[in-house]
Amino acid sequence: MTHDADLLSSSRHWRNIPQQVKPRAMSREGRWRLALRLLRAAGGVGALGVAAWGAAQAVAVWRGDPAALAAGTAAVPLQHLSLSTDGVLDRAWLARTLALPANATLAQLNLAQLRARVLASGQAREATLTRDYPATLAVRVAEHTPVARLRAAGAGAEPGRTLLVARDGVVYEGVGYDPAMLASLPWLDGTRLVRRDGGFVPLAGMGQVSNLLSEAQSEAPLLYRSWRVVSLARLQSDGAIEVRSQDGLRVIFGTQDGFFPQLARLTLLLDSLRAQGAGPVTQVDLSLPGQDPARPAGIPVTLAPPGTPAAPPSPPVLRNFHPLTLEF
Amino acid sequence: MNSKHTFIGAVEIGTSKITVLVGEYTGRELAIIGCGECQSRGVIKGTVVDYKAASDCTHSALEQAERDAGERIQCVFLSQTGGHLEGFYNQAEVNVRAADNMIDREDIAKVSELARAKDLPAGRSVVHHIRRPFKVDGRLVPTSPENLVGQRLEVGYWTVHGLEQRLADHLHVISGFNLEVQEIVLSSLASGHMVTTAEERQHGVLAIDIGGGTTDYVLYRDGVPHTTGVVPVGGTHLTNDLSIGLRLTENHAEKLKLRFGRAVVQARDKAEKVWLDGNFAIGDRQFPRQAIEQIAAARAWEILEVVRKKLGNAFSPETCAAGVVLTGGTAKLPALAECAAKVFGVPAHLGEAPAGVSENLRDPGYHTALGLLYYGLNSQSERTARKRRTGLLGRVSRLFVQA
Repeated sequence: MTHDADLLSSSRHWRNIPQQVKPRAMSREGRWRLALRLLRAAGGVGALGVAAWGAAQAVAVWRGDPAALAAGTAAVPLQHLSLSTDGVLDRAWLARTLALPANATLAQLNLAQLRARVLASGQAREATLTRDYPATLAVRVAEHTPVARLRAAGAGAEPGRTLLVARDGVVYEGVGYDPAMLASLPWLDGTRLVRRDGGFVPLAGMGQVSNLLSEAQSEAPLLYRSWRVVSLARLQSDGAIEVRSQDGLRVIFGTQDGFFPQLARLTLLLDSLRAQGAGPVTQVDLSLPGQDPARPAGIPVTLAPPGTPAAPPSPPVLRNFHPLTLEF
Repeated sequence: MNSKHTFIGAVEIGTSKITVLVGEYTGRELAIIGCGECQSRGVIKGTVVDYKAASDCTHSALEQAERDAGERIQCVFLSQTGGHLEGFYNQAEVNVRAADNMIDREDIAKVSELARAKDLPAGRSVVHHIRRPFKVDGRLVPTSPENLVGQRLEVGYWTVHGLEQRLADHLHVISGFNLEVQEIVLSSLASGHMVTTAEERQHGVLAIDIGGGTTDYVLYRDGVPHTTGVVPVGGTHLTNDLSIGLRLTENHAEKLKLRFGRAVVQARDKAEKVWLDGNFAIGDRQFPRQAIEQIAAARAWEILEVVRKKLGNAFSPETCAAGVVLTGGTAKLPALAECAAKVFGVPAHLGEAPAGVSENLRDPGYHTALGLLYYGLNSQSERTARKRRTGLLGRVSRLFVQA
């Protein structure tokens, strides 16, 4: 590129020619543009003036009372707690859990600490806390869903309490659940509760238990309704889950095969035995490999000794049933 | 609107029409986003003679372009033509200062300043200083000679200057719209930059922009503009000659020129006649086709001949290997390239805009406005780079060099 318009040259350059014209030499659009430009310039000068005035005020305050500069504007105390959840928790629980001091402002809240409090309950799987100015703390919670319950005995004279177990093994005290729903959950047996940081260590193997229970709930609801205890005692050693019904039947499920075929075999077997008029069944072992669903005779079954009364077809709900007593 | 984007208006105030293109410059890319056009009034041979009329139609074109673009133009690149523009060549040479004969920035600045330091007659202002390549001990250096070794450094400038009042009139037409002219670019440089390639400019090429009232030309050698000039004759003179020769009104003569005019006589039959309108209306007349072609061809030949004479020794077929490129509204006259090839004795062709330009802007009438945007941006970025070099950092680095 060789075009060069350097103004250092001694000769006059077109850039030295004044470009401004008087407003009367302008067109209407030109005058309008000029007015806009002047307005913009005036606005800029005004903004500068305001900034300068503010600076002057700050300097004056600084000279008179420097502490006044550090004091912020009085914030509005927290007025609302907003909770959105996919479960059953309510605002009363949230207020109890957060235990916010009276007249606390949003800016004073330690959100990380409050989130830890929410999660410490165990029932909340995820929690998001947001400051919604001027005076609302918004909390979004994703909750655990219980798949089983267990009874833990208290230390010493302390009464025992019922705890819930989620699919991921988290053990927590359920709040706000429908009692009927809780009563339909099977009890958990054959495992140990270990305390940690005010809570419990998640139980291992609950994923498989959860799969079995959900499969039974959807595919064999009648059977599921009669299940009262699920034992994990042989899960680690034999890979077997033992289920005890209210009619005294013990069914051993294997974790190697799918639960659906095992449930199908069990239903077929029970129907077949009932049709044959056999006595009450006390134990069925579905965990052994190579069982043919078409030949129920190949499944190990233990019948009750003759004379044992048959179990009622729809047993009552067991109350005060404490299958699991754990010291901790 | 992105604050980093600049909306540039390229304004060509021509004798027959005023063209405004709006370019959106992002710092890396240029996009043409609007176009405005208006028939020119108050402009004769590229010079404003009626401020009010010229302002009105220029502002109308500016408003139309802004409407088309949907954005406000922030600055203007203005093309400049007219018979008042002249050019001269001045060169200077200096002895290289350093003991080891290595050329430094001081040597380059000194020789450049000397070559530009030529006083102009009163009332005239510089439009362009166009630098020709440096020479080190007679050896041509196409780029910067910095850090080369030699004893004598030479450089020459082709300086284009014009009447200050005429330049001011053009500037004030734009200022009347409350816009600032950031760059004035010679029309020939703008259109020449658009219709010639870097390779053609390197080999030597003559670009001729034949407009309505003026003919602008630029001769490139060694990749840079060597000579520029303006001839105050253009397409309207062809119309005028036809009007006088055939005793017609200007409008009728323009119509005949556009329909039957040719730069090289083709009709052999003297008796062949053409209708003025050809619509069988009352008052329609017939004219000999050969006469129309002869008048148009004679004037076209004359215009090109004048250009050749003004170029003088600067032009020779040997130094213009890439031939002649024609552009401008009158370049659409049939056989003009053939005529130019005969006058200059080198191949000639009609110039075309580069491939990226949209179809509706490929008409030769837009080449100057398009070139204005590209050439103006190049000049600006070069100036910005030079300012950066001569800024605080440049001064500090020079202190270290001197130390």
